[in-house]
Amino acid sequence: METTEFMEMPTKSVTVNDRQQIDAAIAKSWSKIAPFWPLKNLIAVNPISGFEDLTFEDGLTNANAYFQQREMPVDLLHVNRESIKWLQAFFDDGQATIPMPLREKGFLRSTLMLLQFDQQIIGNDKQKIHWLKTLPDNPEAIVSETLSLLGIQYTDQQQFLTLMLTTLSGWAAHIQYRANWADAQDAKHPHPVTQTEYLAFRIVLTYLIWPNAKELLIWHRRAVEITDISSIYNNVVDNETTYRQALLKQLEAKQQVRKETRAEAQLVFCIDVRSEPFRRALESQGNYETFGFAGFFGLPVSIGNSVTGASYASCPVLLKPAYTVEEKPNCSHQSCDDGYKRLKGIKKLYQSLKYNFSTPFALVETLGLASGVWMSVRSLLPDNAASIQSAIRKSLAPDYSVTPDISSIPHRQQVSFGIGALKMMGLTENFAPLVVFCGHGSTTENNAYATALDCGACGGRHGAPNARILASILNDHEVRSEISKLGIAIPDDTIFLAAEHNTTTDEVEIYNEEMSDSFAAQVQALKQSLEFTRNENSLWRSRQMGVMTNEREASKATALRAKDWAQVRPEWGLARNASFIVGPRWLTKAINLEGRSFLHSYEWEKDIDSSSLTTILTAPMVVAQWINAQYFFSTLDNVAFGGGSKVTKNITGKIGIMQGNASDLMNGLPLQSVFKSDDEPYHNPIRLTVVVYAPKTKIGEIIMQQQILQKLFGNGWVHMICHDPKENLKYQLNRDLTWDHTNW
Amino acid sequence: MRQILTDFTNLFHVDRLSLLLMGLVAFVAISIASFSIRYLKGDRRQKTFFVNLLALVTTVFMMVCADHILILLLSWAVSNTLLARLMLHKREWEAARQSSILAIKNFALGFVFLGAALAILYNVTGETSIQAMLAKSIESKWLIAASIFLLLAAMTQSALWPFHRWLTSSLNSPTPVSAIMHAGLVNGGGFLLARFAPILTGQPAILNVIFIVGIITALLGTLWKLMQSDIKRMLACSTMSQMGFMIAQCGLGLFPAAVAHLCWHGLFKSYLFLSSGSAAKEKRIDLDYPPSVKDFSLALIYGIIAACMFSLSTGKQILVMDTTLFLKFLAMIAGVQFALPIIRGNAKGKLLLALLGAIVAGSFYGFSVRLVESVLEPLGISMPQQLNVFHFFAAALLTVSWLAMMFARPSKQTANPEWLLKKYVQMLNASQPHPSTITAHRNKYQF
Repeated sequence: METTEFMEMPTKSVTVNDRQQIDAAIAKSWSKIAPFWPLKNLIAVNPISGFEDLTFEDGLTNANAYFQQREMPVDLLHVNRESIKWLQAFFDDGQATIPMPLREKGFLRSTLMLLQFDQQIIGNDKQKIHWLKTLPDNPEAIVSETLSLLGIQYTDQQQFLTLMLTTLSGWAAHIQYRANWADAQDAKHPHPVTQTEYLAFRIVLTYLIWPNAKELLIWHRRAVEITDISSIYNNVVDNETTYRQALLKQLEAKQQVRKETRAEAQLVFCIDVRSEPFRRALESQGNYETFGFAGFFGLPVSIGNSVTGASYASCPVLLKPAYTVEEKPNCSHQSCDDGYKRLKGIKKLYQSLKYNFSTPFALVETLGLASGVWMSVRSLLPDNAASIQSAIRKSLAPDYSVTPDISSIPHRQQVSFGIGALKMMGLTENFAPLVVFCGHGSTTENNAYATALDCGACGGRHGAPNARILASILNDHEVRSEISKLGIAIPDDTIFLAAEHNTTTDEVEIYNEEMSDSFAAQVQALKQSLEFTRNENSLWRSRQMGVMTNEREASKATALRAKDWAQVRPEWGLARNASFIVGPRWLTKAINLEGRSFLHSYEWEKDIDSSSLTTILTAPMVVAQWINAQYFFSTLDNVAFGGGSKVTKNITGKIGIMQGNASDLMNGLPLQSVFKSDDEPYHNPIRLTVVVYAPKTKIGEIIMQQQILQKLFGNGWVHMICHDPKENLKYQLNRDLTWDHTNW
Repeated sequence: MRQILTDFTNLFHVDRLSLLLMGLVAFVAISIASFSIRYLKGDRRQKTFFVNLLALVTTVFMMVCADHILILLLSWAVSNTLLARLMLHKREWEAARQSSILAIKNFALGFVFLGAALAILYNVTGETSIQAMLAKSIESKWLIAASIFLLLAAMTQSALWPFHRWLTSSLNSPTPVSAIMHAGLVNGGGFLLARFAPILTGQPAILNVIFIVGIITALLGTLWKLMQSDIKRMLACSTMSQMGFMIAQCGLGLFPAAVAHLCWHGLFKSYLFLSSGSAAKEKRIDLDYPPSVKDFSLALIYGIIAACMFSLSTGKQILVMDTTLFLKFLAMIAGVQFALPIIRGNAKGKLLLALLGAIVAGSFYGFSVRLVESVLEPLGISMPQQLNVFHFFAAALLTVSWLAMMFARPSKQTANPEWLLKKYVQMLNASQPHPSTITAHRNKYQF
């Protein structure tokens, strides 16, 4: 029967109108899909950002109908299996030694050519092969022709195409990344793909396997009818109200008057929620002042490694890097180079034996004993294993420190980056002798999700390079004199240092210490305080992870988690994040915010043209909302929006996670990142509450100018609270963008 | 009371093969258990996992120590059932259930094969003790049938083609289960053939069949391994090929070498499974094929040196025209492959380095094999065979496939011939897991 259906519909000529209609349908279907980044830099994103045009409740309803359905038509399962097989093969980024052929011809052409030989899909059906061979070249035309062969009405086209995407949502999210969000490397990937090509592939496969796929529309309609999210929604709202009331009560009660004495050191941390408890602990150690600022320190740069030749974007994915800064080793270039080549040579030796015919047999017998011993040491004595590993690595390739070569950024631009950063972080006067820019990054072993714990503002990378660049810029005499002409006087006895906060171990490494000879004593004192801070924060974090320990042992406990290859919860990351507080530090300094708040420094009096606040609300706040939404949905439904348990994960193509033998690409956070156990969530799924310490008229003006804010606040995706300093009252923003006075 | 005790101990026979395998399984199990204390933290079924793991290790101990055929059969069945239970860790997950069912079906088939083999042997010899059976010289037509059934049982257990699918579909298991499986029960086929080696060595025809199925699986498994895009299926296909090689060594009459392979591969593979979370970090380095003829020729010489060192350190003469030559030949190929990147690199004194490397690696390889062989020496199950046409043909296939990977680079200009594309798709399909074990709808996955 199937074969006769194949020939029934004669191909008709496509009119211009049809073409426009199909283009619009394709574009609209893709607008429902959020991107998902590959493992090399996992960026948090709202998995249902495609529905932010709707109210939050409608978003939840749609998310449920599109992504959370437990059942699916049986034939579609078959389509998905075959899709996954080809997607795995095409998007493989270096796993297979014998890769899929023809990939440089692009996704659609290569898969269509190979589909002709796929007995599992077409059997020996000559008509199907003929149809495949005579498909038009143009992917839009293929979509259009196949839609009409499937008998999809014009009015249903967009809906049907959307379902083609949402029924294999993880892979669609990866294609969305490749099409719209790819980094410099992936943007010129040798194996290109477009959104339309992907849809064409999906729909051709669907037609070949399930000519009656029209039924999918009915399936979805039923799903919409039975979806009821009211209990979930009410629960979320209750939890939010509880949290918000407590937060505002705290803000009310514990305001501190600001000190005017010169601090011993000022440290600027990322707005990341993990900075808050660390800052609080550090401030209690002495006369230290801390600030919160996006961890890329306002520098839209790519970081190049002059030894390995690799480079990557180190700024939020919303920005395109404008400059590439090379990091130069401080040791002799030759010795670093030698070390790098030695390591690479050994890896090459291993790979050359492993990835060929006939040679792996000898390889496994030669390495068996060593592997066995190493396996037991890593499992039974992970601490020792880490020391051995690092000793071996250092003997082959000694560690080296690096200095950024900022000459690639024009002097004028350096001045503007410098002054821009200082203004945005609100550090324009009362400079301490030491000003430390403290980026952050994580250390984990054997963790496919490692980059999800790194700095999101740095595009899922470590933050140290950006800190080093800004410190270099601001230590430059010429830059300083230019800046002072523009009204910010940095005293001569102030030095800028770069550091990185290791969020897994709470260690802080300071980089350009050697510059600070005359400050040796102060730096020493700061380091001591950082060590105490580490113990204190490690203790708190260990307890959050359910580890019983004491202040002396706590930092060992956290360090161990960073080294342990069996550890599935090396740190809690940004779990439990709940609020974004924009204001001066004195507002929150005396409050225990429990590591749940993004803190952005801001002083409204100095922001006369509101430009700083506009940036804060449209960039860092949006990123915080992405993070918040990712944790929210990964907790709400870890199967539909998360990665599932790490216990059965399987890495495909070096780009993403599947569950077990094969599955959809599991976009989202793994179960262990948001759950204490299989049954008990750790993260509390509530929407982000934004608190801004500025007059409500000022905030209101910005919202009126920014569509993205109208969307997020107006549709209820984010709560906005204004802490009005003029009236000393708190207001809550309603969905119609009016303010209500709150009594909390 | 003492009588009962003697009767009971008579059911078992602990020899060096049993001790070696118990040592291996215990060592791996301890590492994996320690790993799983952290890895499975918070998992609903962590306790069940440990209980099943302990039970599995116990029954595997029973299996390798069994002397009474019913004990062997029983422990074989129970340990495989436990493995299938461990595979079904997430019970609500349909695909995992299907993986487990697929494995159970395969093991049931293996159980029938083993049962048939043992029944025949019992009928022919009248003995229920394996050692007693092996001690008898059996003159019966039925011996061939028994051997074939033994081979079939080994093939199902060690996932040899065409019984491989349960293994390539087994990755819905938790990572530690895969690790214990690939160092443990999947090697059952090698153990079985080594245990019954004295029966097999007298039958060159059977050995040839064993060798051929082994080599087919080794080649097919390697090809599939090289084609896979996900880490775990790659490891599974790789195990399949290594199992093929292990069985092929049995077919060469080199049972101790097969057991050596079993041990070392087991450790290697379970380590790779546990570290599979790092797969995305491993950057593949361009091996820059094809090498120049000059470099390759030089590497060939080093390969021969490595093979000589291998022979010397395994305590064998270098040029003996028996099946040990086959292993030396493979050592040579590996030696070439080892020396080549060093020769083509730009390290200082690279030629000397490659020579030293070849000598050290060849010797170390030899010693690894020797170590296990010397443990098993008293069993007297090393029975090198005369070389025959199958061995030469297999050596040729292994050589050609190896050289093809290095020298046959598809040039970008010429189009891929249609037969090659067809072959690619065919092999890609053949290496897929069973459809019912794929999670085609993500919401069917359950943790």
